[in-house]
Amino acid sequence: MVCLNKKSFKLPFVGKDTFLLLMRLGLDYNKGQGSYCIKNCNNIEKLLDTIANILNTEKVTFLQSCVMCGKDFPCTDCRYYDLCATKDLPFRCVCPQCLRNERLYEEHVERN
Amino acid sequence: MKDNFLWVEKYRPKKIAEVLGNEDAKAAFVDWLKSKRRRKKAVLLYGPPGVGKTALVNAASNEFGFTIIEMNASDTRTEKTIMKIAGPATSFVALDKFSTETKGSLLFLDEVDGVFGKEDRGGIGAIIRTVEESLIPVVMAANDPDLQKLRPLKKVCELIRFRQVRLPLLIAMLKRICSMEHVEAEFEALERIAQNSGGDVRSAINDLQSLAEEERVLRLQDTTRLTPRNRNIGMFETLKGVFSARSLGEAATMLNRSNADHDDLLLSISDNLPLRYEDPVDLSVAYDLVSRADVFRGRIGAENWHLLRYFYNFLAEAATVCPQSYRPFEFIFPPIRIITLFWTKSKRMAVDGICAKIGARCHVSRRTAKQEFLPFVKIVLEKEKSNAIASWLRLNTEEIDYLTKMNKF
Repeated sequence: MVCLNKKSFKLPFVGKDTFLLLMRLGLDYNKGQGSYCIKNCNNIEKLLDTIANILNTEKVTFLQSCVMCGKDFPCTDCRYYDLCATKDLPFRCVCPQCLRNERLYEEHVERN
Repeated sequence: MKDNFLWVEKYRPKKIAEVLGNEDAKAAFVDWLKSKRRRKKAVLLYGPPGVGKTALVNAASNEFGFTIIEMNASDTRTEKTIMKIAGPATSFVALDKFSTETKGSLLFLDEVDGVFGKEDRGGIGAIIRTVEESLIPVVMAANDPDLQKLRPLKKVCELIRFRQVRLPLLIAMLKRICSMEHVEAEFEALERIAQNSGGDVRSAINDLQSLAEEERVLRLQDTTRLTPRNRNIGMFETLKGVFSARSLGEAATMLNRSNADHDDLLLSISDNLPLRYEDPVDLSVAYDLVSRADVFRGRIGAENWHLLRYFYNFLAEAATVCPQSYRPFEFIFPPIRIITLFWTKSKRMAVDGICAKIGARCHVSRRTAKQEFLPFVKIVLEKEKSNAIASWLRLNTEEIDYLTKMNKF
């Protein structure tokens, strides 16, 4: 399994057709840095499969952003990883540190 | 005193901030609603039930001062009723727009994927016309946007996807409701409710109320009364789940949960098998199993649904001939047969038109004209384009050109 950062990650040379497919599926390409980022999550499952194909790995996941503190963390760090029906997607969740907060809901509403 | 409110109503979000999870979707919707020059006049919010689509529309209109004109699944949504309600509402600027308290109206069509059948005839067409002519924002909500009948609607809408709410947020919300309702709940029990809901906030709150309202105490053993919820999954998720399954049981469970059409499922699994198996022996075994599933699909017909389990079982077996060899691949979907029919529609219509002319002149059916006359007419026309037969059959030059150039019927 490969874990990537959705804000910036690099892929090997993919060729014109695959590049167009990636763009259509919701990636954006930063020409200066030669890196990709996720622009649109509407086709994310298909996008993850395509990236897994490119990287020749069984599974690709992206780091989660904490809705409370903004920190990036992998889904596998979460205590609910085995119970969660929505593993890895979407890319926003609550990090293990913020999970200990007793006033999580109230602070989440205030923050929004 | 015990109140008679449903907790889902009592704790319905009043502000956008109170809508749980889906931060990106919320931001996209608010941006669209606030925007003065919208790229598309309508927005389609889609996602599984209970994730806050309707709640967000209500909360946003409450916060920004829109008056909602709503039509949902409980209304009859024929072309006539939609045009009667939505037509005037969207073609004239409401007088209350000039008041400082409201920003005008917003048309909200909830559960548009439920517009179907005799009762809602012409509904989708009327919605598209309303969107095109509308002067006010049009918001729609649906669970499954991949339905064929919604395809024309998707073209005129901006799409915003909602997902299941993550477990930690759901547990935090349940904890808060418990403290507001003075329910003494074990943390593990709340975890169990949240897990059982599968990210559906509405069902989590309903489960909590049904378990805790009477006694105001909730223990883990009380949650054993909860029944697992059947979640419907779409074609893409079904294919992914079935082909990546580690065991026959896992694949069969995925098929059981799928809401995809059985014939589409059969065609799609059959199309994707060559991508799934590299070994020709595995592939041949898989195709043999698919053919057996096809036999059972025929036996099921329209009434023998007790045979469905055999159909699912053979398909699941076909997908798990060699589970350890699974590598991710890009699924072919929709089925190749459906795509081919789509691409050849104009060709088939042209041939039908020619056959109709031959049938009318020769007093035979279109089918007979196609099978017994058309090949000979083609040969005759290939030799001489403007002959007496062509003019007698009243074929125009385009049809003659088409006939002489086409390879097979």
